[in-house]
Amino acid sequence: MTAPTDALSQSRAARHNRAAWLVGLGLLLLILPRLIYPVLALDVLAWGLFAVAFDLLFGFAGLLSFGHAAFWGTSAYVTGYLLGHGQSVPVAMLAGTLSAGLLAVPIAFLSVRSAGIYFSMITLAFGQMLSFLALQWTDFTGGENGLQGFARPNFMGLDFSNATVRYYFCLALFGVGFYIAYRAIRSPFGETLKAVRDNEQRAQSIGYNPNRFKFTAFVISATLAGLAGSMNVFGHGVVSLDAVNWKTSGEVVMMTLLGGTTTLFGPVVGAGIVSLLQDRVTSSNLPTGIVTGLVFVLVVLFFRRGVVGTLQHWMRRK
Amino acid sequence: MKKVNLLLATLSLSAAGLAGAQSLSLADGGVKLGVLTDMSGVYSEMAGPGSVKAAQMAADDFMKSHKEFAGKVSVVGVDHNNKADVASNKAAEMIDRQHVDVLLDIPTSSAALAASEVGKNKKIPVIVVSGGTTALTNEKCNKYTFHYAYDNYMLANGTGTTVTKKGGSSWYIIYPNYAFGQDLNRQMTAAINENGGKVVGSDATPFPNTDFSSYLLKVQAAKPKIFGTMQAGNDLVNVVKQYNEFGLKKQGIGLSTGLLGEQEISALGQDAFAGAIATVPWFWNLDARSRVWALQYKKLYGKLPTYMQAGVYSASMTYLNAVARAKSDSGEAVVKALEGYKFNDFFARNAMIRPQDHRVILDVYTVQVKPKSAAKEEQDYFQRLQTIPAAKAFTPLAESKCKM
Amino acid sequence: MTIQFLLIQVFNGLVNGAFYALLSLGLAVIFGMLRIVNFAHGALYMLGAFTAFALGQLLHLGFWPSLIIAPVIVGVVGMLIERGLLKRLYGLDASYNLLLTFGLTLLTQDLVKQVMLSKFAVSSAPYTPPDSLSGVVNLGFTMFPKYRLFVIGLALVICLITWFVIEKTRVGAIIRASTENPGVTRAFGIDVSKWVTGVFGVGVGLAGLAGVMAAPIYSVDPYMGAELIITTFAVVVIGGLGSIMGSIITGFAVGVLAAIGAALYPPIANTLVFILMAIVLLVRPSGLFGLPEGTR
Repeated sequence: MTAPTDALSQSRAARHNRAAWLVGLGLLLLILPRLIYPVLALDVLAWGLFAVAFDLLFGFAGLLSFGHAAFWGTSAYVTGYLLGHGQSVPVAMLAGTLSAGLLAVPIAFLSVRSAGIYFSMITLAFGQMLSFLALQWTDFTGGENGLQGFARPNFMGLDFSNATVRYYFCLALFGVGFYIAYRAIRSPFGETLKAVRDNEQRAQSIGYNPNRFKFTAFVISATLAGLAGSMNVFGHGVVSLDAVNWKTSGEVVMMTLLGGTTTLFGPVVGAGIVSLLQDRVTSSNLPTGIVTGLVFVLVVLFFRRGVVGTLQHWMRRK
Repeated sequence: MKKVNLLLATLSLSAAGLAGAQSLSLADGGVKLGVLTDMSGVYSEMAGPGSVKAAQMAADDFMKSHKEFAGKVSVVGVDHNNKADVASNKAAEMIDRQHVDVLLDIPTSSAALAASEVGKNKKIPVIVVSGGTTALTNEKCNKYTFHYAYDNYMLANGTGTTVTKKGGSSWYIIYPNYAFGQDLNRQMTAAINENGGKVVGSDATPFPNTDFSSYLLKVQAAKPKIFGTMQAGNDLVNVVKQYNEFGLKKQGIGLSTGLLGEQEISALGQDAFAGAIATVPWFWNLDARSRVWALQYKKLYGKLPTYMQAGVYSASMTYLNAVARAKSDSGEAVVKALEGYKFNDFFARNAMIRPQDHRVILDVYTVQVKPKSAAKEEQDYFQRLQTIPAAKAFTPLAESKCKM
Repeated sequence: MTIQFLLIQVFNGLVNGAFYALLSLGLAVIFGMLRIVNFAHGALYMLGAFTAFALGQLLHLGFWPSLIIAPVIVGVVGMLIERGLLKRLYGLDASYNLLLTFGLTLLTQDLVKQVMLSKFAVSSAPYTPPDSLSGVVNLGFTMFPKYRLFVIGLALVICLITWFVIEKTRVGAIIRASTENPGVTRAFGIDVSKWVTGVFGVGVGLAGLAGVMAAPIYSVDPYMGAELIITTFAVVVIGGLGSIMGSIITGFAVGVLAAIGAALYPPIANTLVFILMAIVLLVRPSGLFGLPEGTR
């Protein structure tokens, strides 16, 4: 996938630009629960990290996964299940996150050998398979009732019954997840990944095994998606089948595109916009598909840089 | 704002304390009904905007009959998209920001359970009408949650008992392989066995599913008297369509369903369902009293009400009456006023709110779908076969897993 | 397991297989010419069923005229999509087409739902087959609905005609040539872009036809194509997008295998296709009939 912009190029201006975004976005996230309902703010964090994880694969490895809900959802179920069985918050979230990474191993192994559209179809199919499993495996997932009413025991003096406390706890985790994604992209590993994305043959000819890099990127992406999924469960105290639905996979794609792929911050901005938009739409009788579908079509046709990409493009031109 | 509200609430509370139990104590000056429902998805026709309208109608009627509440009852409708996390989010937001005093309706089991959890934590009553899961009054029951209208036990038990007693001695059951279907199958089988009938075969089908031909062919070979389908919604429409297509009806194999609503019948056509037996908590032309209300609703909303929408009206009214009795809209006081309450309205007959599990028990009806030729008016779908008295219609308390 | 039981499952599977085959055939035809995967294929299948329903309601057209008119309408809608939207994305990565058609899927589904509710006051509706095809036939081992036999037969005929046109005729030669080498084809005075539009229309028309054929079996429902398209993608991955005949054979074969598997062990019914897909990916990543280089 040739991205319209590559905001992470090495120039000094780009570095300043990035620092400005980091500070701006960081400040915004710090005061977010003052601006909007804290649980909604938590949504922005969880979906934002989910979108960052997705874009690690889509933007930087050129792999469009249409089944990322599988990882988000698996982690959500594991986290919810463990909280329901008396585990502490950190243990449950860690286990959820790792389970997503573990699930990614066989799926990544089978899917990275195919490229382009094939990869998308395969991930979509695996995602769908997982959603059928979740529906049937009711002992673990609660079926269509889902899981809810599990405890979120206080941890190190933090009162998790308070939504604002939950938000700042998740903000710290978000920071960790974001940093991991950032390091992965800015490392030699990330550079190789981009080389593979732009010209697989060349990367291969200078001695890299493209599939190994794609595989690793897939597993990191899935693990981060898992962290995001466990944050979402922790935030809401609910897991349901929506967590593994194909529409969830589509939603994260939309957030990423809208915010701007390969811009690192873009997916977070996209997640914020979509979460707030959806919150508004639920107060009207407008079917969500019409709004979501229209945004999708318009962004793909006319706004492929996304919000952050477009802003960065303008700034660079000045 | 919040502080002012709190101050007002404290003031009015202390005022209430001073004046004894006589004066009305409403936090933030009024009662707000929150209808949390599916505005545009699969349940939007049976509940959705029609439920909000029903709650509004109840509020208006109540204010007319209770002068002290004039101008003080309002309704807000919010969409939960059939998603549990959205439901949980919206429930909390409605309570914290919009200051609703009760949550009503809530189709989709996972969403209803999620909202129930929020109600419990925030001490706000939650009255589930459109959600059917029996978990609400069993392992997931809590002090603030009430279950109105129907549930899965009632559906299966009513139909299984009535049909078997009327001579449907051998059954073949198919059910969708997820909690709802498994639950219905279990209840239905128990009811059939208890009444001397026999289940000669049963199959779990995938969910969702569009093609039921292989199961129907097995039914055809087994030649039971009754074919019981526990599918719901679109799956049910497809089963019944294919039941006709494969000629099972012509071979004299009767049809009984788990959850049957007005929507499925109008989707597939009355004649395709003709003869099918199901259990419902209410239907619009049940009797004169129901008709009066239903036609009034139609005049305001343009459509005849479903039993879920009628249930939302009744639940809203029951809630508001409890507020009037308690002279307070505090969750705790209203719950106390609701528990054990016995009442009768156009929807709920011989009704009682069981204090032990918060199941609202009421008379329910086993009905048979009339052929189109026997229908005398629009949506004249059901012929009543049997009234199941409230005490026998729902899970016996001895079997309830509720620990409150 | 008796032979009779097995035969019943084979016939059941062929009905499902007929729809898989028609849909994956359409996807393959489009992919062959445009190198894109049309996510909206499922929504257009639904549009075919809905159009037949709407023609019946508004113009009192029966099954037979709708069987021809509805796919044509869907085909024209497809051509408009290609001309108006997809064309703008041809220079870019094929993923953008997938994303665009994904958005169109969401949009189409909910638009049709709104129309059904506001215009016909139903959220899903039945569609009756013609009298000549209703009722059951005695196959010797079971009674089987006439209409379903018709679906199997018609799907086979349509699939074979499509295969014949593309592989054995001059028209097919032009299509194949513009696929393999658009530059040279243009040099022969052939307007490749017109052919692209036409082929897209035909591929999508096949989905519309499948939709009309499905309407009497399943109800007309705005979301009827949503899950089907994902399963069809799995079928396409199993077969590989390389060949027309491959997608036909895979479609029917997967239908039959899934029906037998589901009858033997019901819990596996929904996941069987995906398990098959995983196995094929393990053994032959480019699919049973796919060419390794055709993966990009």
